[in-house]
Amino acid sequence: MLAFTIANLKMMARSRQATFWALFFPLLLVVVFGLLDLGFLGGGKIAVVDSSNNEASQQLRSSLQNIDLLEFQEGEVSVTKARLRVEKGQWDYLVIIPEGFGDPGPDPGSPVSVTLLQNNRDPQRNQLMQGVVRNLVAEAQPASLRADLSLLLETEEVETVEITYFDVVLMGLIGMAIMTNSIISIAVRVSTYRNNSILKRLLVTPLPIWKYFASEIAAHLVLAMFQAVVILVVGVFVFGARIHGNPLWIFAVVPLASLVFLNIGFILSAWAKTPSAASGMGNAIALPMMFVAGTFFPTSMFPWVLPQISEVLPLAPMLSALRLVAIEGLPLWDAWPQLAMLGGWAVATALIAIRVFRFS
Amino acid sequence: MDEAIRVEGLVKRFGAFTAIDQVSFAVAQGEIFGILGPNGAGKTTTLEIIEGLQPPTQGRITVLGRDIKSHKNAIKARIGVQLQSSAYYDYLTLKEILALLGSFYPTRTSPETLLQLVGLSDKANSYVNQLSGGQKQRFTVVASLVNDPELVILDEPTTGLDPQARHNLWALVREIHDRGVTLVLTTHYMEEAQALCDRLAIMDHGRLLAVDSPKNLIDRLEAAYTVKLMLDQPLTIEQVNSLNGSVELVQELDGNAWPKWIPAYAGKTEGHYLLRVKNSPAALGGVLDELARGDVNLERLEIAPVTLEDVFLEMTGNELRE
Repeated sequence: MLAFTIANLKMMARSRQATFWALFFPLLLVVVFGLLDLGFLGGGKIAVVDSSNNEASQQLRSSLQNIDLLEFQEGEVSVTKARLRVEKGQWDYLVIIPEGFGDPGPDPGSPVSVTLLQNNRDPQRNQLMQGVVRNLVAEAQPASLRADLSLLLETEEVETVEITYFDVVLMGLIGMAIMTNSIISIAVRVSTYRNNSILKRLLVTPLPIWKYFASEIAAHLVLAMFQAVVILVVGVFVFGARIHGNPLWIFAVVPLASLVFLNIGFILSAWAKTPSAASGMGNAIALPMMFVAGTFFPTSMFPWVLPQISEVLPLAPMLSALRLVAIEGLPLWDAWPQLAMLGGWAVATALIAIRVFRFS
Repeated sequence: MDEAIRVEGLVKRFGAFTAIDQVSFAVAQGEIFGILGPNGAGKTTTLEIIEGLQPPTQGRITVLGRDIKSHKNAIKARIGVQLQSSAYYDYLTLKEILALLGSFYPTRTSPETLLQLVGLSDKANSYVNQLSGGQKQRFTVVASLVNDPELVILDEPTTGLDPQARHNLWALVREIHDRGVTLVLTTHYMEEAQALCDRLAIMDHGRLLAVDSPKNLIDRLEAAYTVKLMLDQPLTIEQVNSLNGSVELVQELDGNAWPKWIPAYAGKTEGHYLLRVKNSPAALGGVLDELARGDVNLERLEIAPVTLEDVFLEMTGNELRE
């Protein structure tokens, strides 16, 4: 089987056209996005930690939600966790409302003050936000407490890692490259081998046929790793992308995800009558998935039910797992829902592939 | 003599269609056994069942003394198979393909030895698509020898080859045979079957019509010559009847039975006959006398020895369809 895998790798290396397409298109996009200065990802994000939970704090909360400039992040988390997110750069602003907000208390001259946590990405926006939030805090309080505006808000700036759009899209390009190549390469190769009777020729030898499939898969997994390395190296060392976590986790996600796409390739090869039909079918699946599943922009930007649909496509968990480990810097096990989804896809596609596969 | 293959009561159905109908034959070890028949006769299906690629609907098959149902892998290890129109990997050299195929078997012959056998040593590092048609075919035959097999099955090894390449391939088949290997091959070329095979099975429409040596098959006809006549007018019933004494078969031919390069006769069908004449000089004379008596003008006359083609014609009532 090792000999067969090596033979497969040799064929891949010699088939210059195929190798070219495995890397050319993704690298072209790396160059394009690397040269474009797209800066930071999206608009700012704001979140609130509310320890008072009274009328005044709820009013502040809802007026913060209505700031058009910012994307409001729902959900209750502890102050420590929320702080961490600002430090990691996931949130740009965090408003911490302490206990007793809006409560006149014993000393009306010194009201409890709200804290605005902000990162250092955009000083101009920070200045603007300080004014806006201070006004909103004042409005939410009873008139008696508005005495000294400067006492109402404390601001704190947090040093944060700079995550650029390029860092994020680079993970998308790795996913895209591996998905496209895995699906199309397997579909075209296997249908070619079937049309040439090469599959039949293997069947008349005593080779247990699972070894053929295993060697195809092994060779393609090696190719997928190679694609990921090349794209990462070019992205990081030529265009200055940054990996914000342990890069090794990327190579744990890649084989699992490419296994799903290889299975899809095997399924298509069974349906396609000719290699060119296989190539067309592969493109018909890979291209829409590439756009819809979040390679270039977040799936949440789509209208209607498309975000929900695209979240379950196999490319989506692959990309979000890659971004969790490489952009948010989380350990691999924090991506377990994505990995579980990929695992489910791998099992389901393998079962279909075994069912529909044909040798002649 | 030990049997290399024994097929008993083989039936293969695809839905309502019966591709192979009660076929039984045996191949002795050390012989070259041919399966002759037109396309669609069931030759390839028969071979694929023997090779273990398709299960039979009915029947019992033993290869090298073992049942194919229970010993599939053991048999696969000891036979060599060349499939009809099988190609090989585009991006592996000849040497690498042979080494890869060899790695699937417990015993193997070195790629160098194999390439030398077919005179392709200097192409060891070339790709298959850099070979000529004849070289390609020699390569696919030798690729069936990687495991030093006792039995080699070749499916239409010479189809599509020019005459020179075909004769080279015959020489290769004989050379393999001289090493003590049993060969089974299919063909739809009569002359090939006659020249190459020790024994022949004739198949048509999924049925086995005869199994014998080419000589015995021809002798069955009890005729030595075929005579093609082209007359200026059709024979009368009486004339045909009187011919029948010395002639075994009288058949009216259509225009296509004559070579295309006789333009004057193309398309003309009346008065064309094929006679099968018994082995005696008087028989042929009798035919000519009869024609002379009837004042019939002979436009063209061809006399040829009886060949397998005539045997096939006799058995199937058809020209061999390619």
